Amino acid sequence: MDADELDLFGRSLRDAATRPGDVGPGGTLDGALEDLGWDDALEDDPRGAISVLFGVQGETGATSSALGRVLSSGLGLADPPGGWAATVLPPAGSATPPGVLDGDALRIDGLAFTGLTGLPSARIVAMAADGTTSAHAVATDSLAVEPVDGVDPGYGLLRVTGDVGAGHGADRLPSGAWDAAVGLACLAVARELVGCSRAMLDLACEHAKGRVQFARPIASFQAVRHRLAETLVAVDMAEAMLDAAWLDPTPAATSMAKAVAGRQARTAARHGQQVLAGIGFTVEHPFHRYVRRTLVLDALLGTSASRTTALGARLLEGRQLPPLLPL
Amino acid sequence: MSGTPAGDLARFRRDLDAWLDAESDALRPPFEGAGTLDQQMEQLARVKRLAYDAGWMRAGWPERVGGVGGTTLTRAYLGEALTARDLVEPGLYSMTEVLAPTMIDYADPELAAAMVPALLRGDETWCQGFSEPDTGSNLAALACRAERTDDGWRVNGQKVWTSLAQYADRCVLLTRTGSVESAHRGITALFVDMDSPGITVRPIGTMHGSPEFSELFLDDVLVPFPRTLGDEGGGWAVAMDLLPFERSTSLWHRAAFLHRRLQELLDAAPPGALDPARLGEVTQLLYAFRARSRATQHRMAAGERLGPETSVDKVLLATAEQAVFDLVADALAPQVTVGDDPVSGRWRSEYLYSRAASIYGGSAEIQRNIIARRLLHLGDDR
Repeated sequence: MDADELDLFGRSLRDAATRPGDVGPGGTLDGALEDLGWDDALEDDPRGAISVLFGVQGETGATSSALGRVLSSGLGLADPPGGWAATVLPPAGSATPPGVLDGDALRIDGLAFTGLTGLPSARIVAMAADGTTSAHAVATDSLAVEPVDGVDPGYGLLRVTGDVGAGHGADRLPSGAWDAAVGLACLAVARELVGCSRAMLDLACEHAKGRVQFARPIASFQAVRHRLAETLVAVDMAEAMLDAAWLDPTPAATSMAKAVAGRQARTAARHGQQVLAGIGFTVEHPFHRYVRRTLVLDALLGTSASRTTALGARLLEGRQLPPLLPL
Repeated sequence: MSGTPAGDLARFRRDLDAWLDAESDALRPPFEGAGTLDQQMEQLARVKRLAYDAGWMRAGWPERVGGVGGTTLTRAYLGEALTARDLVEPGLYSMTEVLAPTMIDYADPELAAAMVPALLRGDETWCQGFSEPDTGSNLAALACRAERTDDGWRVNGQKVWTSLAQYADRCVLLTRTGSVESAHRGITALFVDMDSPGITVRPIGTMHGSPEFSELFLDDVLVPFPRTLGDEGGGWAVAMDLLPFERSTSLWHRAAFLHRRLQELLDAAPPGALDPARLGEVTQLLYAFRARSRATQHRMAAGERLGPETSVDKVLLATAEQAVFDLVADALAPQVTVGDDPVSGRWRSEYLYSRAASIYGGSAEIQRNIIARRLLHLGDDR
């Protein structure tokens, strides 16, 4: 897609995301994505399609089932029409496949989005004891599918569990396919985290400029200004890392992009919360929604903390820094 | 050079790398560890001369100042390659990237054509006389006075933190030509010969052992009018255009330096000395800083005018540099604290120098003020 098309796409999505009634808690952009042909855009221009959609999701707090579709695309597998949520995500805090294959038994513990309800089958990627991975079509009605309330009920997550037979029609996945798919999904979630961070920064700046204490806007106090400046540095840093990861999406690069975006979103939440003070702690102000979303996005596909520690452990093992993106 | 910038850069990289490999004996510093500042300056001049004569140092600079044109990315890569191979000290090398663009943009074209090649070739060292004892962060309050006489500007005053002044042949000097109340409107930039009568330089000892900056005393120094950079009263614009260069290509070179040191830390740290969580975080900080700096290089190469957004780059550098060397101080504590060999001395000196990363070139607080006012539009701070 060229810049104009992407821009138009973004505006249509933002309209859909902010139209009253369309996307409330539990609401989803799935219908709008269907209408706009986001599916085709994803195959055509993964970076453009992912950046626009997940950016809008982060900024507006809207949700969709598209992350499952991103995983499918990363695996190189097609979804049925409207099957946005077909591919099940790992459980919170993890990036390993949601299925464990033990002989003929398939044990499942993962997450999906509301779009899974209504699909006849879910796609479960499973790992066997020898480390090989395979994709299985599992009838949805053989799975326990429960809405997740958790910290962010508005995100539209479902918990998917089950203990089923491996069944027929399992596709053996090439080695590295799951990691590559998770890498692509990491870029999507990182974009959503950056969008979320920018929204928190905007809310905090708006408040700081309007809130008057001691006869001056609190934005005139250096303690407040520096917190907000620090937040912009954090968000710009996450975005730079994300842009660089798109240029060479190795597992190391996509993991760092997700980890940095997660940590910086937590930073934006911390500073924003402090600047917004009392009002930001109430449900009368939208800030809390972004705090909730930040936590759940950071946990999705593995937290920043766990990815960061894993990176350090790998570096200590090989004693070699990751390759550098050339100028 | 011709073709696309990306193609030019790829060719430049390949050819330069081959040259650096072939000439590695001639280019290698003749000392172990950090060396003294005198040794570093000699090494810098030698490397610049070899690189200029072989054509590398001319790439990315306009033809009218002795360059061969082409994308500015080649300049960034040259500095990166020289730094990554530990051939030059990045801070000293980067002075060229800060001062040459100022001359090209603001000096009379004949003056620029006469002077810039000597800087690029390492025949001359230049310095930048901005800060004063009473005006560090508050640059617009500077007091060093320049008065019109029949023979040119007569300059009286004092500068401080003037990097490399004791080695410098020329100085880009900010002076007060209007009233003190005229603040940023009454400043004029001059290009001063450092051997002019009336100039005294006193190097200042530093915590990290390298007296890289000086006090500069100017006592009835005469500067010819053609040495005025930009317009009379237009010195603020010169300074504002120069400062983003301090936060662009210079920082890219610094990223290459930090990458080399972090790898050397990985090589040198004994088992158990590095905490994986901290190591992972520092690595991410460095790679994110580098990603940001890379984007800035590409914006500059595309002809974009750099501005206050480079303050973000500077904050990221300071954060990454201090994080890398905090890790060094913990993992290599014996070397940093009681090691007396040249390599330990270098770790120690560089650790101590990293403390200045949030002070020089506009302190961390000044950068955050700029970000708040000019990027977040938070209005006035009083």
